[in-house]
Amino acid sequence: MGYAYYVGLAINGAVEGLTIGLAALAINLVFAVGRFPNATTGDLMTVGAYAGIAVQQSGLRSLWLQGLAAVGASMALSLALYLFVFRALRGRGMLAPLLASIGLAILVRSVLSFFAGHDQYVFQLPIVRPIMIAGIPVQSYDLWLGGVALVCVLLVMAILFLSPIGRQMRAVADDLTLARTSGINVDRVYLVMWLLVGFVTGVAGMVLGVRTVVMPEMGWNMLLPAFAAAVLGGVGSPAGAVLAAMVVGIAQEMSTPVLGFTYKIGLAFMVLVVILAVRPAGLFGRVERVR
Amino acid sequence: MLAYITAVAIVFCIYALLTLSLNLHFGFTGLINFGHVGFFAIGAYAAALCSLNGMPYVVGFTAAAALAALAAWPLGLLALRLREDYLAIVTLAFSEIVRVVITAEEWLTNGVQGLPGIPRPFASLGIGGNAELAYLALVVTAVVLAILLIRHLVRSPFGRLIQAIRDDEVAVKALGKNPAGVKVRVFMIGAAIAGIAGALYAHYMNYIVPDQFLPLVTFYVWMAMILGGAGSISGSLVGAGVLIGILEGSRVVRDLLPNVMQVEMASLRLALVGLLLVLFVLYRPNGLMVKRDES
Amino acid sequence: MRFNRREIMLTGAASLAAAMAPVGFARAAEPYRIGALNPITGAGSPYGSGTQKTILFAAQEVNDAGGAAGRMFEVFAEDTQTAPEAGVLAAKKLIEVNKVDAIFGTWSSGVTLAIMPLTDAANVILMTNSGAASISTLDTKDLVYRYSTTGIRSGRAISGVIEKEGLTRVATMAFNNASGRDLVAGVKSGWEEKGHSLVAEVVYEPNRPGYRSELQQILAAKPEIIMLGSYLPDTTIIVREARQMGSDVRFIGPGYAIAPKLSESLGAEAVEGLMAVDYVSSLDSSAYAHFSKRYQDEMGSDVGENFYASCAYDMVQCTALAIEAAGPGADNTKIAANLRKVSNPGGKVVSGFAEGKKLLAAGEEINYEGASGPLDFDEHGDVKPLFKLSKLRSGALEYQYMLSL
Repeated sequence: MGYAYYVGLAINGAVEGLTIGLAALAINLVFAVGRFPNATTGDLMTVGAYAGIAVQQSGLRSLWLQGLAAVGASMALSLALYLFVFRALRGRGMLAPLLASIGLAILVRSVLSFFAGHDQYVFQLPIVRPIMIAGIPVQSYDLWLGGVALVCVLLVMAILFLSPIGRQMRAVADDLTLARTSGINVDRVYLVMWLLVGFVTGVAGMVLGVRTVVMPEMGWNMLLPAFAAAVLGGVGSPAGAVLAAMVVGIAQEMSTPVLGFTYKIGLAFMVLVVILAVRPAGLFGRVERVR
Repeated sequence: MLAYITAVAIVFCIYALLTLSLNLHFGFTGLINFGHVGFFAIGAYAAALCSLNGMPYVVGFTAAAALAALAAWPLGLLALRLREDYLAIVTLAFSEIVRVVITAEEWLTNGVQGLPGIPRPFASLGIGGNAELAYLALVVTAVVLAILLIRHLVRSPFGRLIQAIRDDEVAVKALGKNPAGVKVRVFMIGAAIAGIAGALYAHYMNYIVPDQFLPLVTFYVWMAMILGGAGSISGSLVGAGVLIGILEGSRVVRDLLPNVMQVEMASLRLALVGLLLVLFVLYRPNGLMVKRDES
Repeated sequence: MRFNRREIMLTGAASLAAAMAPVGFARAAEPYRIGALNPITGAGSPYGSGTQKTILFAAQEVNDAGGAAGRMFEVFAEDTQTAPEAGVLAAKKLIEVNKVDAIFGTWSSGVTLAIMPLTDAANVILMTNSGAASISTLDTKDLVYRYSTTGIRSGRAISGVIEKEGLTRVATMAFNNASGRDLVAGVKSGWEEKGHSLVAEVVYEPNRPGYRSELQQILAAKPEIIMLGSYLPDTTIIVREARQMGSDVRFIGPGYAIAPKLSESLGAEAVEGLMAVDYVSSLDSSAYAHFSKRYQDEMGSDVGENFYASCAYDMVQCTALAIEAAGPGADNTKIAANLRKVSNPGGKVVSGFAEGKKLLAAGEEINYEGASGPLDFDEHGDVKPLFKLSKLRSGALEYQYMLSL
């Protein structure tokens, strides 16, 4: 097999990594500011994708409108989860919100399948043939996906690093007590953070929905790989999460000629365990003291 | 009806073992473990493979406990180095690695086809009442032994050290004790109990397949533990009881809600588990069996 | 792990009264108790309810005809949830609480394999539609009967289609579970027996955000057709990705994966000519005509593609005839020994219990030809079911031809 085969594998890995990377980005935000691994991330994506499908079923064929609905629904749900559950759990450590998020994830998924059933839905998009660039087939949807992911990451980074609320968010992430005593409106910071999470998961759900099929388990199935990427990327490093997801994705696909396809997901987790054994703070994370 | 109640009681005992051992990890020692189903799976496959290869049950159960404990050892070492949120994810990943390996290593585990025909102890007593009751006696014995072991651990000097570690690790270190070794040992003991639960499960179900060991099982056990109360032995039993009640009791619910389609019942069952977990974390974080002022 | 919701239904209000009434001699015959153990929830739910209702009305028909060898049928219905644990608890209840003599209609192999030790120990007849090959080898007492066939044999049938269609470069892709793997293993063995070899084989883990690298490996071998051991969602993703990768390769797969829904999802053009192989009931038989009409009356809907319901109908008919042939007081071993006698070739063809009962009373040999197929049990207790090949044409499945094992 020639180099084109391996380049193909690398592209596949990068594209899958980007899809998961968006979810990892959302996880990373909560990780840094809310200080717990958010297990509802996958199901926020699912709800977004179903909202997009609802718009399509009502006859509106614009992908932009569908995407808007997806982002809106995920943001609304994310906000609701914060207001009704996670706000009350602030200051209760890592475990309480993690357990609540697992419960919420199960709840959201079963409510969704109760009403929407288990039949699959699909975003009706024309099938586009690849174009050849230097002997490598390139798919236009991949370029779109890359663009969307890039815009998403840049937007999150811009908000985090250029806006006043972003600075406050980082302050809260660094030291909650210090941030509070220096007069930062912590409530507002959390509110914006959860809205941002809703935005990213909405986009991620739409991307996943377009690439695969829309079913109640779609987001939940992405949760563990996304967790792995978020941890590998390191807390407080949004670009790191996306990069880590791509690294894992590429490593997974490039390993298939040797390891076969059934060990792919296992490989991702083994990479996670091994890297954390060597670098307890993740690939791109800062070393923090425990407790 | 007795036979059916016996069957449900056996399954309850298996879940009680899982809940008790998770409680040893978290409730008594503060170790975060979201990979409990991994130890359960290792125990189930170890016992099944031993007895399918003609070894006595004792060997199978010993292997189940030993291999699960062995798998816990590196994880316990890792637990010492990691932040607890990372640890939650790493343990989750561990249980998925176990499942992937079991699925992929077909020469050993028969992969996705599963292992059928796992022998059952007391089969010579015949089908029905007696064999079933004998098996119930076995699992009840296992639960009682696990409770005694955990109580002994908690009350012994070793146990006081465990709780001291949970409450203030730095102080323990200052006293010149080594919390690391203790934590790893507790992790291994809890894993061994989960491994025994797996062995009992495999011999009771007669057939195991990797799909039975999804992370959802871990989450069920967490729900049972939180519901009963972290750090409470009676809580573990109550929590496991409520869990079985939800999973097995939906027949009653169906009678109350006759308009609910059969297919939708599966969603409702799951929804109830999720909802209870959220509500307990929010409003009764110490669980049913722990007094509010404790903790 | 989830456990069961269960329900108990007694068919035939008359059955109790009839059981009380003296039959033949002064002693009343014991009712023959049947557990309808079906996948009401979970992956098998599209088929479970129809199957269960069918067992109920088929048992009623037997009772209306006076019962089998004087024994009335009593049915206890349970849900397997398509999960082994739930299936085991339900089977225990059926065997030990309801004292059933037979269990009909288990669907997933996991459930069937998990309850077989129970039915075997209790001498309960088990009639199933599960595809695992090991079911045959684990059945030591010849009490397990399969009204369909193994996944491996289905795969072999598919390899016959591929040859008949004149295709030579064949690749396989399998969902990594027992049924996906068995199906492609069957294709492989059938194909190699015909003197060919597969150009590529891939087993994939499900629930991934894509299967492109898998496809890339397959497509590098330039197959004319890819045989899929898959379900609808992953088939949708795989076919779409193949087209997006610029490939016009054809696909063949089971009927639950290559379905009209696939065309709704991807557009008729992308899936034009894709081939589906599926079990089919014996549509021209008089047993089927009768069964489908009763089904329509009872369920208020067409039996459609629910092949398994037609099997359930036959399970009741065959068992009733075997009981009748075995005569009063026969145990399950004797009843099972008569199953082949009443349904395999050699006797006069019958299409229902009442008809067969009369002929048996007249001392004739009979051969039940069922709604699901001719039902000739081989030494494993398996039948050779009927398969059909269909092709997707402008978005609909178009019947092509029947095929044999």
